[in-house]
Amino acid sequence: MEEPRIGVYVCNCGTNIAKVVDCDAVAEFAAKLPGVVVARSYKYMCSNPGQEMIVQDIEEQSLERVVVAACSPRMHEQTFRRALETAGLNPYLFEMANIREQCSWVHDDGAIATEKAQALVHAAVNRVARHEPLERMSVDMCPNTLVIGGGIAGMTAALELADAGKRVYLVEKQDHLGGNIARVDLTAPYLDSARDILTYLVTRVLEHDNIEVMTESRVERLDGFVGNFKATLGSLANAADGNAAVDVGSVIVCTGYKEFDAARITHYGYGKLPNVITSFELERMLRQGRIETKEGRPPQFVAIVHCVGSRSEEYHSYCSRVCCMTALKYAHEVKSALPKSYVSDVYVDMHAFGKGCEDFYRQSSEVKTLFLMYGRGEHPVIRKADPGDECGMLIEVNELLSGETVEIPADLVILMVGMEPREDVDDVAHLVSISTDKDGWFIESHPKLDPVATTTDGIFIAGACQAPKDIPDTVAQARAAAARILARIARGKLVVDAVYAEVDEDRCSGCRVCNELCPYVAIEYDETKRRSHIISALCKACGACVAACPSGAIKARHFTDEQIFAEIEGVLE
Amino acid sequence: MAARKLQIALYWGAGCGGCDVAVLDTNEFILDIAAVADIRLWPIAVDGKYKDVEAMEDGELDLTVFNGAVRNSENEHIAKLLRQKSKLVVAFGSCAHMGGIPGLANFVTREEIFTAAYLHNPSIEPGNTTIPHPETAFDGSQLTIPRFYKRVYKLNDVIDVDYYVPGCPPAADQVKAVFEAVIAGELPAKGSVVGASERAVCDDCPRVKNEKKVKHFYRPWQIMADPDVCLLEQGILCAGPATRSGCGVRCPSSGIPCRGCYGPLPNVVDQGAKFLSAVVSIIDSKDPKEIEEIIDGLPDFAGYAYRFGLPSSLLQRSVRT
Repeated sequence: MEEPRIGVYVCNCGTNIAKVVDCDAVAEFAAKLPGVVVARSYKYMCSNPGQEMIVQDIEEQSLERVVVAACSPRMHEQTFRRALETAGLNPYLFEMANIREQCSWVHDDGAIATEKAQALVHAAVNRVARHEPLERMSVDMCPNTLVIGGGIAGMTAALELADAGKRVYLVEKQDHLGGNIARVDLTAPYLDSARDILTYLVTRVLEHDNIEVMTESRVERLDGFVGNFKATLGSLANAADGNAAVDVGSVIVCTGYKEFDAARITHYGYGKLPNVITSFELERMLRQGRIETKEGRPPQFVAIVHCVGSRSEEYHSYCSRVCCMTALKYAHEVKSALPKSYVSDVYVDMHAFGKGCEDFYRQSSEVKTLFLMYGRGEHPVIRKADPGDECGMLIEVNELLSGETVEIPADLVILMVGMEPREDVDDVAHLVSISTDKDGWFIESHPKLDPVATTTDGIFIAGACQAPKDIPDTVAQARAAAARILARIARGKLVVDAVYAEVDEDRCSGCRVCNELCPYVAIEYDETKRRSHIISALCKACGACVAACPSGAIKARHFTDEQIFAEIEGVLE
Repeated sequence: MAARKLQIALYWGAGCGGCDVAVLDTNEFILDIAAVADIRLWPIAVDGKYKDVEAMEDGELDLTVFNGAVRNSENEHIAKLLRQKSKLVVAFGSCAHMGGIPGLANFVTREEIFTAAYLHNPSIEPGNTTIPHPETAFDGSQLTIPRFYKRVYKLNDVIDVDYYVPGCPPAADQVKAVFEAVIAGELPAKGSVVGASERAVCDDCPRVKNEKKVKHFYRPWQIMADPDVCLLEQGILCAGPATRSGCGVRCPSSGIPCRGCYGPLPNVVDQGAKFLSAVVSIIDSKDPKEIEEIIDGLPDFAGYAYRFGLPSSLLQRSVRT
């Protein structure tokens, strides 16, 4: 093989890499590798001068391949690929060696880190010599969107898209729109009415010409790929209605959350002590305008218990984020409805991070709520009061700030139940080919750089189905997802990555080992030819079929055996 | 011009003799070979001594057909000698091609092999402590036997090989095809695997293939397999998908799973690893515990997957050897 002309660029990342790795030594090492005609060390390769250096070398030194030894390809692969394109080189003739995350950030010993960086550069040079120029594909973008879930996230996203003149199919399992917000009275921290927000949204959604609302419905199937999905929708109310198929280019999953089942924690007595209720049961009372015990009396002592099912090793390790402020909201609502009542708030930590929330916390202290702190991992114990007591129940708390075990009276105990994923998350995840995390929340493409997209192109997530969050965050995500989709619709065409797997029909024996493996349903079997085939627009290049193909007939473009073995040999040499 | 007869040698290294029998299985075709060729060395059928080979000019032989792996110093010595004397060397059969069944010994050490064979073998005299040594003093003189290597090599680990004929043993009509090609002088590119297809056994296998989902693996005697359906999807470990065809699908056609003797597909680096990936890919479970139970139904998978090719795999041998 005639070695192509390779340029190697070793980034110092300021001092991020250079403080541990001897970047000049790495560049000197690279210069001696086969095919390398230029090797440089530079302060910031991703900066404009850094990129211009690459462009200039490609033009002046007729480079055919480029290696940048810097950070993770997740960070800057696209940046440098664009630089290659600027210089007229195919962007896939590029390879990154990660000498920051894999060297300088994880090693103290400079000599060893430098040696490792050289090995990684060697691997990248070996690999890039075997890269092939690849062409990206372009597909049409259908301007319709499917929104799954008619809560505040789904309605907000639907309106954003519909107001831009795009068609939306809004599918809701229940017989009405609103989701969990329809179960809430006031919202924290400004105590504005959830009903006002809801009425406004529901009315607009139902009246909008561009939104087709389907309640008591579900998505039976989703076929196709980004820009070109076909969704099969079925009625839950009447199976005889049959299924309807709609064409959509994007999907937003807004399936929300369900509340934690308080009966799982036995020492709170939920389900046994009649006046231990959940936050949602109190919301119902508040919406009906009457706070009372099961016996029909207004409670004199009201206790609110935080972190029910949340931040616990036994149940959910995460914070449900909205309960602290909702608890303060209850203190306000109870105090204003029953001014003579005593409200105690039994908490672990007070999480008041949202806008306006810290002020709200201070106001709550001023309305004479009694705050009692208990330790994480402990549980206050709720029991029925003795006959002589002037209250219905007693709560025993190991109060952390005083260091004493105290017993407080209660006629009504409100358990701040946390959020948890709905029972059908796995079905939904499978339906739209996205993943769930260890707790069951849908996983975003990147928590900071791409928070509403998923690893399946064209499928977006918004609201509490991604993780517990409050209404402002939910609305922001819903509008963000809609904006992402609108930007794509505006472009009209979608560019699909050139990295995908393909079957060499001259090698395929039709054994069908790969057929069931594809998580994106991209593999078809041709009964006549007795060969398997991959629909390239559906393929995400995960490599499952490539690894499984016992005949070596499936090749992942840009991840060929030849390239990977060359890389391994480079590391080991 | 007087037709010069082809000069041929057939030799065996560490093998079972089956490959020699496969040559004889060409039946009367052997007479056609004899008509156009002088068989100068073939221990199983023709007289011929090492010294006769040593006396030959370099390149005097037109063809050496070498079967068997390289297990000891004698195997290597003769392989090198024949290479020197031969214009063409064909690695014949799985052992010469990939290490074969003898190559499975690379999973254990030489010491373990000697212990099993000479010290703890039920068929030896109890209390025996004698194991072979390369040199033994006997009656005032020094006796030597070939040195038993720490591991088994395939033929091209010790000499340059021109062609490979896979199979344990190679199918008779493929054997015939090889000789015909040499006689006619119609040779493929050096390094080719001769007499094999570019696709897997499944391509020629008459059994019906469906999508594969396996909940339980069986050894062939444990179930009555459907005679018309792919064995692998019935849970019988058939290496057909990971093995190149050319054998005539003799095993799966008679209800026996493919063992992989024809070796990996042309662009596959490691047949056993590929077979393993395929097998675990069709396990129909997402529950780690259940998956473990299903995998427990695959005893000695390494031995199964590398039955014919451990010395030619990425593993090559156990690190202890």
